[in-house]
Amino acid sequence: MDAILQVKQLIGGYSPRRPVLHGLDFEVNAGEMVGLIGLNGAGKSTTIKHILGLMNPQQGEVKVAGTTLAEQPERYRSAFAYVPEAPELFPELTVEEHLHMTGMAYDVAETDFAARQEELLEQFQMLPKRKAFASHLSKGMRQKVMIMNALLAQPPLYIIDEPFLGLDPLAIRSLLERLVEVKQNGAAILMSSHILSTVETYCDRFIVMHHGHIAAQGTLEDVRRAAGIDRRSGTLEDAFYKLVTGGRP
Amino acid sequence: MGDGRSLESLWKRRSHAFRKETTPYFRYMSMSGFPAFLSLIAISGTLGYFKLIRDLPPHFPITAVGVIALVLASCWTPLRTWLAPADTVFLMPREGEMGSYIAASYRRSTIMTALFSAVMLLLYVPIYRQGAAPAHWLVLILGVAAIRGANLWGGWKERKIAWPGMRRLLRTARWLATVIVLYAWLTFVPWQSAIFTLLVAALFAIVYRLPSSHRFPWERLIEEEKTTHKRYYTFFGMFIDVPTLPSPIARRSYIAWVLRLVPYSRRNTFVYLYLASLLRTEMGGILIRLLLLGGLVTYWIAEDASLSGWGASLVYALFLLVLSVQLGALRQVHRHSVWKHVYPLPDSQRIQHYTKVDRMALIVVAAWLALPLALPLLMQGYYTPVVATAACVLAYIAIRPSRIRKKLRKEEDDD
Repeated sequence: MDAILQVKQLIGGYSPRRPVLHGLDFEVNAGEMVGLIGLNGAGKSTTIKHILGLMNPQQGEVKVAGTTLAEQPERYRSAFAYVPEAPELFPELTVEEHLHMTGMAYDVAETDFAARQEELLEQFQMLPKRKAFASHLSKGMRQKVMIMNALLAQPPLYIIDEPFLGLDPLAIRSLLERLVEVKQNGAAILMSSHILSTVETYCDRFIVMHHGHIAAQGTLEDVRRAAGIDRRSGTLEDAFYKLVTGGRP
Repeated sequence: MGDGRSLESLWKRRSHAFRKETTPYFRYMSMSGFPAFLSLIAISGTLGYFKLIRDLPPHFPITAVGVIALVLASCWTPLRTWLAPADTVFLMPREGEMGSYIAASYRRSTIMTALFSAVMLLLYVPIYRQGAAPAHWLVLILGVAAIRGANLWGGWKERKIAWPGMRRLLRTARWLATVIVLYAWLTFVPWQSAIFTLLVAALFAIVYRLPSSHRFPWERLIEEEKTTHKRYYTFFGMFIDVPTLPSPIARRSYIAWVLRLVPYSRRNTFVYLYLASLLRTEMGGILIRLLLLGGLVTYWIAEDASLSGWGASLVYALFLLVLSVQLGALRQVHRHSVWKHVYPLPDSQRIQHYTKVDRMALIVVAAWLALPLALPLLMQGYYTPVVATAACVLAYIAIRPSRIRKKLRKEEDDD
């Protein structure tokens, strides 16, 4: 399989004296969804910031679509769409103007844009809010706008940080359906979430982070094995709990 | 919990904290050319004013000018409450005691607006006395004070109204009613005007009872406080880097249609964003208001052809300077936005797009402001000041982009 995202020996953080990430190694391939899980402060958001290019690696490298940010910044950035944990919208743009701008930035053909926009607005029940500004949207609706923007761009890689916070059940379902669809069409997805049951159901592989290290990665079976529990029974939550607490209550 | 007195002391602490927070910015402002600019406006305004009251033209619209001056002095009801979103958690349980807190806000507002009204009256009374003056000027002052008081009360009633649409409607109605009442005071004998004022006040007292109202308008006051706070920082932002606060947004459909003219293509992405910011943020509102005021003042001076037309050129240049400084604040709008790093567009393109929007905006602003300068002067045969001003403005428009690019690059390096 083609690796869309490659993280090699990544050491990073805000200060070289105190790195937060310690030698991370993982890949996300085309056509797979990978769940990034860990306790608060495990290093998930810092990892995502390094992938986005908002932080520079102290050592190691991050490649998206076969290139680093320094080598080909435009190719690197146009290869992914990002949904942040806290929705960050432009207050001066309406919902449809956000989609318009994303369409421009990601070079979505004008003919495709109109159809995709309508489809997304309908699927996420945002048609009545298309002319609303961010300040007039609930948190869940703002999150929907972020998700719609990511889906509109149709990039090879999706980086999604805690997408379910504030979403209503219909929107969660729409999001998951769309993620399965884009995955089947060959996109790679890196999704960070605390909702382990959903991650277990929808993701093909998992990366368990703990104190800035990868405590385990691979299929559910691999994670169970790393946690030292029966390879054929036990949920992701059981394995996760074991990995981050060492089995202590 | 304490009594109302402790809430009053909380109000004082917050008021003191705001003064302390803003003092350094006022200091920076005082070190800029802004006080000199204000002094210049004040001196030229004073000279113009004394010239006006000494030789008031025979057909001077005394009543219309009076209505405009006094409606501002009567209707404007700002209120500083220092309330913050967290107050809905921590102060809301003491809603019953908020009377003393809000009374402190009203005391401040009454004093500030009374000073403003006094200045407006002081300026207007000498003009008023040269007209028909149906009421003695002292009676007029009493009348305006009563109208001022009624507006303060009306302002509070409106803040309590639960429906934003109804609140805006009644506020507009109050301003219109004040215009009519002031017109009455300036044209009818006092007893008739007083009765009319009482009838209008009674009508409003009844109307204010109709819509659903909050006991205490927490959300409205917090929103208002945020807007005022933001305005202070937008103003300080003209002189020094200030903490970025979320800017209040207005739809401005009457001008936002311009956004749809931006061609849909990747190379216009940041043009689209910066144009939206320019049109819809508070900065755009300030630009529009400054442009209208600048147009009016330039026209007055140009019509008067003072200093053989050079006076109007000077005022034009001053307003264009203030407008271009204000326009420069657009640089700060997305300075720390994460999206400028995430969107697949090179930084050089962002700078190029920004410069394009800045230049277009400057051309529009300069051209708009040039109309009230050039038309009256050219019609009176003063060509040189118009041509000289046009040459200077074109030169400025030509050199500004490179200066902007330099500033943007420096800011990027600093970040």
